[in-house]
Amino acid sequence: MILKLNNASKIVNSGSNKIALLDNINLNVEEGEFISLMGPSGSGKSTLLNCIGMLDNFTEGTYAFLDESVHTMKERQRSKLYKEYIGFVFQAYHLIDELTVYENIETPLLYKNVKSSERKALVADILDRFNIVGKKDLFPVQLSGGQQQLVGIARALIGSPKLILADEPTGNLNSKQSEEIMELFTALNKEGVTIIQATHSEKNASYGSRIINLLDGNIVVE
Amino acid sequence: MILNYIKIAFRSLRKNKGYSFLNIFGLAIGITCASLIFLWVEDEMSFNSSFENQDQVFYLPTNQNYEGEWRTFYSTPGPLAQDMKNEVPGIIRATRSSNEERLFTVGDNAISRRGRYADVDFLHIFNLKFIEGNREEAFNNPEAIVLTQDTAEELFGKNEKVLGKTIKMSNKDTYLITGVIENLPKNVSFPFNWIAPFERYSDGAEWMTEYGSNFSDTFVELSPEANFETVDERVRAIIPEKAESPDTYAWLHSVKDWHLRSRFEGGKIVGGRITYVRLFTIIALIILFIACINFMNLSTARSEKRANEVGVRKAMGSSRPRLMFQFVAEALIMSFIASIVSVLFLFILLPQFNLLIGKDLTLGLTEPLHLGLLLTITVFCGLFAGLYPAFYLSSFKPVDVLKGIKSTNTSASFIRKGLVVGQFTVSIVFIISTIIVYQQIQYAKNRDLGYNKEQLIRIRANEEIKDKFNVISQDLKNTGMVVNSALSNSRLLDGGNNGSGFEWDGGTNTEDILISFRNINSSFFETTGIKLKEGRNFKENVDLDSISLIISQSLANLMGKDNVIGKTISRGNENYTVIGVTNDYQYGNMYSKTSDPVMFINNPNFARFMFIKTIAGKPVNEVLSKIESVFKKHNPAYPFEYAFVDEGFNAKFKNEQLVGELSQIFALLAILISCLGLFGLSAYTAEQRRKEIGVRKVLGSSISGIVKLLSKDFLRLVVISIIIAVPIAWLLMSNWLQDFAYRIEINWWIFVIAGTIAILIAMATVSFQAIKSAIANPVNSLKTE
Repeated sequence: MILKLNNASKIVNSGSNKIALLDNINLNVEEGEFISLMGPSGSGKSTLLNCIGMLDNFTEGTYAFLDESVHTMKERQRSKLYKEYIGFVFQAYHLIDELTVYENIETPLLYKNVKSSERKALVADILDRFNIVGKKDLFPVQLSGGQQQLVGIARALIGSPKLILADEPTGNLNSKQSEEIMELFTALNKEGVTIIQATHSEKNASYGSRIINLLDGNIVVE
Repeated sequence: MILNYIKIAFRSLRKNKGYSFLNIFGLAIGITCASLIFLWVEDEMSFNSSFENQDQVFYLPTNQNYEGEWRTFYSTPGPLAQDMKNEVPGIIRATRSSNEERLFTVGDNAISRRGRYADVDFLHIFNLKFIEGNREEAFNNPEAIVLTQDTAEELFGKNEKVLGKTIKMSNKDTYLITGVIENLPKNVSFPFNWIAPFERYSDGAEWMTEYGSNFSDTFVELSPEANFETVDERVRAIIPEKAESPDTYAWLHSVKDWHLRSRFEGGKIVGGRITYVRLFTIIALIILFIACINFMNLSTARSEKRANEVGVRKAMGSSRPRLMFQFVAEALIMSFIASIVSVLFLFILLPQFNLLIGKDLTLGLTEPLHLGLLLTITVFCGLFAGLYPAFYLSSFKPVDVLKGIKSTNTSASFIRKGLVVGQFTVSIVFIISTIIVYQQIQYAKNRDLGYNKEQLIRIRANEEIKDKFNVISQDLKNTGMVVNSALSNSRLLDGGNNGSGFEWDGGTNTEDILISFRNINSSFFETTGIKLKEGRNFKENVDLDSISLIISQSLANLMGKDNVIGKTISRGNENYTVIGVTNDYQYGNMYSKTSDPVMFINNPNFARFMFIKTIAGKPVNEVLSKIESVFKKHNPAYPFEYAFVDEGFNAKFKNEQLVGELSQIFALLAILISCLGLFGLSAYTAEQRRKEIGVRKVLGSSISGIVKLLSKDFLRLVVISIIIAVPIAWLLMSNWLQDFAYRIEINWWIFVIAGTIAILIAMATVSFQAIKSAIANPVNSLKTE
């Protein structure tokens, strides 16, 4: 069991109204799963991903990650936890414009205080694996969208996370590029990486081993 | 990691060229400006520091009581030095001294130099370093003279042993060179080029042995163990005891205060140049501050751009302190680049600055103090400018920024606005101050002096010139360049000799009134343009008019309303008859409201100066060469040296002129730096509101409507600045003007002008951006989302 949500809710105040962005979510994710979150805009996909990723907090309920209860943790502990086990992939790639491909991929390792020689080896490995060795000294603006997302995934993977959270990873890509990214995810999943992706596309969702539909903050039970 | 920060900082600098330029250029100007001021301050503070025994050396000014008011003079009775050495425990050395300019001749070589007659203690008190000869024996010979190295070289040439050689002074007296000393540094309060025994100057004169008159400077050195208070108390008592009058006393003025604290009021030190040293130090800090503000403002304004990076980095696992460290590091790199640029600026600007302030400052980057200070400024600026943005930027929540929620942080924009208001307040205060200082200087310069300083040349009158005055005067007129010439014992602009103890009919307590006296000849009034309002001029033949007196209007007023012509003024058993009254004229302090009373005596034998009035509109070179030829003919032994009275007049405003010019420069720089910031800020605001502008244009807004929309906010800030700046400037400047009795009133329109200037400049800066974004095609700005 990699994570377990029990009656997890996210309630925010909007003026005098309380709005439940997530409403009593119960979810268990086993290691090695490839989950697709689906649902219309505003259904709570991104919020759920962010909360699972510990960039945001549930306001009610319990959240256990690798059997540790996240909701009782302090900010620092939480940050240590997700630094160690979670990789993020964003729709808008969110590469740092001022850094080269190589440096972008290297950044999470810097924050983990990995030694320089080890960093070099790890980055070289992943560049090789993603076939982007030739692009390592280019800056993000010099790459196509698909290539940028490739770098984004490489960056998410560099710290060998147990879980990858991908928020509409192909949202800005054309269908051919989408397909490549999805195939990459499938391959990673086969190697044992747990993946949760949010997506609009039925086709992309079908790559996953399980589909969870969200509507107005609730999981729709089929 | 650090390397990573540096790398990203440099790339970010390169990528945002405009932004980097604004920041670095602004900061570099600030650092340059502050460095120049600090160099000047260092020079001012280091005055007289070359004298090793700094804590023990004192000058003795005298406070003299005139009509209940204590005035401070730089002169003491002749016997004071010796008596103090004998009678005041704690004083180990004392010297009389007199500052004189003399002509020296060696063969054909003649130069005239300022120097001092003094007692042998002088050589010890000032710790003079002998290159030739030695301190102990230098004054054994009564005809001795000690020269500085430069003076010796000018007279004898380089590498010449001059010990034991003789030189002629004033073309008649022979002096024996008994020593050569190292040149004095430039920053000493009492510079001199030669020293000779005081006896040769006083020559047994009676006035040097009595306490009634003040003629000489007195310097003393205390023993290291002496208690200042005890000695000072004793020193203050000594003249009243000896002279049996409480109206004059001497006191100890420390060598450390000679330069910076030598403005006296009511017999006490009330400041001096230290005021300007403090003022400019504060100004330097303020300018650095407003340069740092630019950095803060632009960094936080750019936050939207950086927010994304912050979010990603946080999601990648960066902690907040690490992010803060990164942003501060960036600020430090920026300020280091700025300080390198400013060193470049300093190299270029220092010569100009030296010219302006009349000093010889050097950058001296190898000096640990200078390098240390530059580093301190750099690091301080980096930290000061970087900390707030670091706090602000690192506070972003990754969810928000990654979701693309626009950060509408009102506190940040409030601080940003506050900082802009701060910058403009400072700028406007500078503008107002500049205008007022300029006005005050012009006001004092253009006042009616009571004489005509234009086309008036002053030269030193030696015996030969005085003897041949009539011939020389006629020859000068014959050149066709000269209107008239005259003799006087005093410069026109300076206080000159004065004294008290005069009495006249109907006057009571007149002995206390301090009156200046001038020994002149009959052509003096016509030459200088001082007007005779009543009575007659002196007769040309001195013997026929030797007990006549011409007095100034202010003295006539003191004597009563009735006709003063024919009245008698006496001092002791000398009686003078008033034969004329002149208008008042301004001398001494150009800012005093009234002019002190003057009496003129027909006695050109005492003259020390000759004044020559030339014809207006003739080429200066021609005039001077014609005059020179006359003097070469009649007074061949002396080099022809002259001074223009109007130049001397202008020199009297040196301090205020300096303040005026510096505040002008600072005002310009402050505005420039503030505008750089405003320019950057308006650029980012325009960028931020691109979409809004696009929508508004699509909805039919006119270009001018959008320009107004974008400029309005900034203009409001400038208006607030004006409202804050006006009372501050008014307070500061009315305080400054208190120093001058003859001063302007602060006019309301100055504030209007300063405000208008600020608004116009701000408008020009902001509207550039506003117009640029207003005329942009809305399609482009709406497409981006």
